[in-house]
Amino acid sequence: MNKSIETVGQNLVEILTEYLKNNWADSPSSKQTITPATNMVTELQLDSFQVMEFMLEVEDHFDIVIDLESLSDIQTITDLASFVIAAQPE
Amino acid sequence: MSLLDKFTAVQQLKSGLADTGKDPTTVVFDNIHTATRGVVEGRETILAGTNNYLGLTFDPDCVAAGVEAMQTHGTGTTGSRMANGSYSTHGKLEAELADFYHCENAMVFSTGYAANLGVLTALLGKGDVVLLDADAHASLYDGCRMSGADIFRFKHNDVHSLERRLERLEGRTGSCLIVVEGVYSVLGDRAPLAQIVRLKEKFNASLLVDEAHSLGVYGASGCGVAEEQGVLNKVDFIVGTFSKSLGAMGGFCASHHDVLGLFRYVSRPFMFTASPSPAVVATTREALHQLRTRPGLKDKLWSNANQLYGGLRELGFELGPEASPVIAVRCRNRETALADWNKLLEAGVYVNMMLPPATPGGASFLRCSVSAAHTPEQISKIIEEFARL
Repeated sequence: MNKSIETVGQNLVEILTEYLKNNWADSPSSKQTITPATNMVTELQLDSFQVMEFMLEVEDHFDIVIDLESLSDIQTITDLASFVIAAQPE
Repeated sequence: MSLLDKFTAVQQLKSGLADTGKDPTTVVFDNIHTATRGVVEGRETILAGTNNYLGLTFDPDCVAAGVEAMQTHGTGTTGSRMANGSYSTHGKLEAELADFYHCENAMVFSTGYAANLGVLTALLGKGDVVLLDADAHASLYDGCRMSGADIFRFKHNDVHSLERRLERLEGRTGSCLIVVEGVYSVLGDRAPLAQIVRLKEKFNASLLVDEAHSLGVYGASGCGVAEEQGVLNKVDFIVGTFSKSLGAMGGFCASHHDVLGLFRYVSRPFMFTASPSPAVVATTREALHQLRTRPGLKDKLWSNANQLYGGLRELGFELGPEASPVIAVRCRNRETALADWNKLLEAGVYVNMMLPPATPGGASFLRCSVSAAHTPEQISKIIEEFARL
């Protein structure tokens, strides 16, 4: 069943919050409030490694694959939610 | 924003590296006495971060072979392999590598980086699929990106993560290449190649293994981790470098697929660069001969690796799970790593400093690499200086 962009966005906020708490507890980004509109690079200041590691978590949660080249088009959690919905089977 | 503005961030990064002492990216060896001793800023220094695993850079026979080749064939080839840069010795080295890996085909490149770019861009194209270990070397990422193939990463050394992605890519796995390293360069941990080969066969994919840090180190003959795990003949493409255990410069690919011979016509990093110089080819051939005929080198390497790993572990440092010629000491943070690296250098011990984001888990490490040429006394001195940190 297809989920709405809002539902997926909220799931992604939870996954990212958990990822940062578990792996980057000391970093300033883990203290910030994350919303679907949050830009992962300019606001959270995640580096390329952190973004790629987070994507592995997202792939496993939604049972999808994300092509490395697609990452450059994904800035906000909402961008990612759109990608996730498109990548899921019908 | 001007073209040059992007370098502001680079300048800030560079300045930050020098804040706690010497900038690790600007170390100059004033002199190199042996495979394990050099001079930095006038100070005698033990070299414990040079990937010179078999310690052959000063081997008298390797040096003599290089000198003779330079005298008989000149200083350089001045051309690519496709034009005037193919000498008989290039072909002999390729035949010797094919024999070493028990396969029919081998191909020599001018650097290890060029080997990965050259093989991946020849092999892959738009519409093909790559499954790449998340901790793979930059040259593997770059080669995959240049190829235009669709790149999917799996969690480092995680066979389950690889399998889940192969399942999700069902229907595309026939044109899928799995790309891993035998030994990973930062932590020195090995790939579970036997399990990865099982998945490659199950999904009808192909497998490329970069044995840059495992050539001469693992396997009964020193072929690497694929040999050690009994799957050498199941790997489609082995790539590696001459700049570590063989103490020279250059790279190679070995394969049982005859198509490798055709890579010469489509691999731009092979076609559009000068071929390895005669001296480099000669020292590489001699070093490969030494690797094959002097098993004692590998024994000495492992004795030193076990001594250093055991000594550092006893001191309570956080290390990888098992002894290896690559021993990475995990630091509390970036600042501690920079400070400790400087202390070691001032005490006459050179190791590599590894900082994020080019590190697993975004951690900072002091990375040691052990050589067969280290003496037990040098290893003790390295341990002693770590104890003072």
